[in-house]
Amino acid sequence: MKRIKRYLLIYRECIRVAFASATTYRLNFFLNCIIMLLGDIVFPLITVLIYNSGAGFEGWSVYEVLLIQSIFTMSTALADMTFNGILWATMFAVREGNLEMALILPVDTMFILMARTFSIDAVGLFIGGFTIFTVSCINLPAPGIFMWLKAGALFITGLCVMMGIALFMAATSFKWVGNSRIPEIFESIKGFGKYPNNIFPKTVCIITSYLFPVAMIGYYPAAVLLGKEGSASFIVLIPCLLFLAAGILMYRYMVRLYQGVGG
Amino acid sequence: MKYIIHQLRIMKEVALVTYKEWSAYRTHSMVSIFVGPVYFIVQYFIWTAVYGGREQLNGMDLTQVIAYFGASTLIGYLTMDFADWNLQMLIHTGRFLTFALRPIHHRFFAFSQKLGHRFLGLIFEFIPCYFIFTLLFGIDITPKHVGWTLLSILLAFLMTFYIHYILGMTAFWFVQSSGIRRVFDLLSGIFSGVFIPLVFFPEGLQKALFFLPFPYMTYVPVMVYTGNFVLAGITMPIPVIVGLQAIAVAVVMLISEIIYRASMRRFNGVGA
Amino acid sequence: MDNIITVDKLTKEYMTYKRGSSFSESLGAIFRRKKVSVLAVNNISFTVKEGDIAGILGPNGAGKSTTIKMLTGTLYPTSGSIRVMDYNPTRDRKAYVSQIGAVFGQKSQLIWDIPPVDSFKMNKAIYGISNKDYEERLKVMTRIFEVEDYITRPTRVLSLGERMKCEFIMAMLHQPKVVFLDEPTIGLDVIAKHNIREFIHEMNSRGTTFILTTHDLEDVEQLARNVIIINHGDKVFDGSLKELRNTLGEVKLVQLTLSKPLNELSIPGACIVERESELSITISVDLGVIGINEFISKLSDICSFTDISIKEMPMETIITHIYKSKEDDKQ
Repeated sequence: MKRIKRYLLIYRECIRVAFASATTYRLNFFLNCIIMLLGDIVFPLITVLIYNSGAGFEGWSVYEVLLIQSIFTMSTALADMTFNGILWATMFAVREGNLEMALILPVDTMFILMARTFSIDAVGLFIGGFTIFTVSCINLPAPGIFMWLKAGALFITGLCVMMGIALFMAATSFKWVGNSRIPEIFESIKGFGKYPNNIFPKTVCIITSYLFPVAMIGYYPAAVLLGKEGSASFIVLIPCLLFLAAGILMYRYMVRLYQGVGG
Repeated sequence: MKYIIHQLRIMKEVALVTYKEWSAYRTHSMVSIFVGPVYFIVQYFIWTAVYGGREQLNGMDLTQVIAYFGASTLIGYLTMDFADWNLQMLIHTGRFLTFALRPIHHRFFAFSQKLGHRFLGLIFEFIPCYFIFTLLFGIDITPKHVGWTLLSILLAFLMTFYIHYILGMTAFWFVQSSGIRRVFDLLSGIFSGVFIPLVFFPEGLQKALFFLPFPYMTYVPVMVYTGNFVLAGITMPIPVIVGLQAIAVAVVMLISEIIYRASMRRFNGVGA
Repeated sequence: MDNIITVDKLTKEYMTYKRGSSFSESLGAIFRRKKVSVLAVNNISFTVKEGDIAGILGPNGAGKSTTIKMLTGTLYPTSGSIRVMDYNPTRDRKAYVSQIGAVFGQKSQLIWDIPPVDSFKMNKAIYGISNKDYEERLKVMTRIFEVEDYITRPTRVLSLGERMKCEFIMAMLHQPKVVFLDEPTIGLDVIAKHNIREFIHEMNSRGTTFILTTHDLEDVEQLARNVIIINHGDKVFDGSLKELRNTLGEVKLVQLTLSKPLNELSIPGACIVERESELSITISVDLGVIGINEFISKLSDICSFTDISIKEMPMETIITHIYKSKEDDKQ
């Protein structure tokens, strides 16, 4: 209990520092926010363009697809703010031989790297995602309170998948020193989570639901809100949590390996 | 004549050094061997679902759209550019001065660098992905007119270079030029046709795009690659659109030269 | 005094890859890379007493940093054991590192865009320092360093010397018993070096044990009581500063720019070690044989010079000296 309290205090300190840093580069911060907000529109824009040309995904209205994509965006934004920074922190530390500076602190290395890279830059991204989400909701039948709760639980599980991915990426950067393209590898796989599952073949769906569960980030929460997915979706919670656990174990293992072989 | 041979020798040397320098990071390039095909697979399923039995959308059929995304991925490997990043870095660190002190035009140097760097792209990105697309996925992406395609890709290569060089030069004028470059990257992503064929945009916008640099970087070479060019309802023979692309490149080269001269006046004046 | 650090047969070996640069090599390296084993630290044993200032001296790439990383528990040894206070640094990292401090000269703990005082608060939270202790220690240390005015300015506007002082404060806010310093004065000017050394002495007199690595003999002469010298991963000297002086003799290097060529030097205890050119020579002077005053007056009798500078012996010369004196002992 005392430990949790201390970690919360550290986290609060890190958030304070993040705000202080953002205010130093105010202009840059606002610009980043706006660019992220705009960049965020790309996928929904393509969806809208496709539907405007008279085509679309069978069984899905444009607002239903936008719902998936806006949930995906909000999840990305929250991940960017809270834990995605661990990738860059790790990559930078390994390349510069700086990880010692984190290792000499008497706290969990994974925790401190995540906390120290807390960033408010992705606020713009979240606002953009939330706006599209709201617009989609207005144009869709209102879900009941129980559906909201269910979708919320799945959304949090989706965040767990996001964190798992961030940790896998960071773990990869130990071996693949200084490769700034690592995120692209994982980002490309995330692409499967931005669209309705039924456009992909069964094998792909099994992979994106059970093996590399990116479908939990956007698709499943949206499907629950739309009443499209039965109770089956709760089984996919398990592989998501296992995925996160695997990410944590992998990251810790790589830190230990780094301490063992580093020069 | 002697001058040209001398310049070509410099170009070869710079390209070779860049190639060697970056081949230490060849695994960076090889990430594309995974990422390219995965993005392609996603696009394949999206568009197969979108067409869902329809013959044509906006004048393109499904096989052409699939070939479009394949070709746009491949061409991207040959034309990709970061001259803007390099140049702004040289300016901000003050190392641009070392070029002002040497008997070489920095733009020529940067161009040679890009040649070396993209040669790496050809070997570690283009060729492997080409074989994955054709042999593994069985997609037909042989260029319809090889000569015109090569010419169009070369023009796109020049276009991306000169545009990015202009973007890099903004660092002579602004301390924070990263914002401008990011906004441009975003716009070029959307309007060059990387994410979606430009025929899907509203027609008025499509017309306007003829007068913007974006389509000449990706959309035009990709359409030439796939064999027929349409934009804003206008179908053009391949030689005509490639000619138009050449004019666009010439205009951008001219603008780049004007901005370069103005930048040099500023650089020598205030020592930025 | 008790030993606070005991290092026994410490060894670190690691594998690295050889990389080619030619076209064919870079193509080939995709498929197979040549492995090369590097012995960074080879079977080193030593102890450090509580309240000591111990210097680990050696040229660049000797294995100093690897040793200090292992001592701080951030790198695991290949073999051998380390005992610091009652901890094994490799095990139980969190408990151990809360008792130590570290300043790595080229690696900053401070956050670039915000004032040092905000970075301090971060460490306050991380080490769980109480408000009262924090205020008190900060006051003491900022006073010793005279940085009261600097710590509220953004780190990026501070000079290297000011930043280094803040690094020290940051590393010592939790009052560690042992502090590890890796090249603490690297790149600093004379005054900043002096300030840092004063601070180390002050904190040492309050009971902190310091272990520092350096390739600067001056650091050791000004600070350390005991010295360990390592070269290519091997320990080549371990003893007090006094013993080191006895081994080396007290030798200074004198660099001269002459106005007329000098062929021969006939001053006892002095000899020409290098002739950079006809008019520029370096002389080594053994201060155990001849005082610097006497040397200069004799020197000005036999030749005329336009410039003179006196220097410490460089690391490489020291190591050659030590090897030589070891061989002399054997005979």
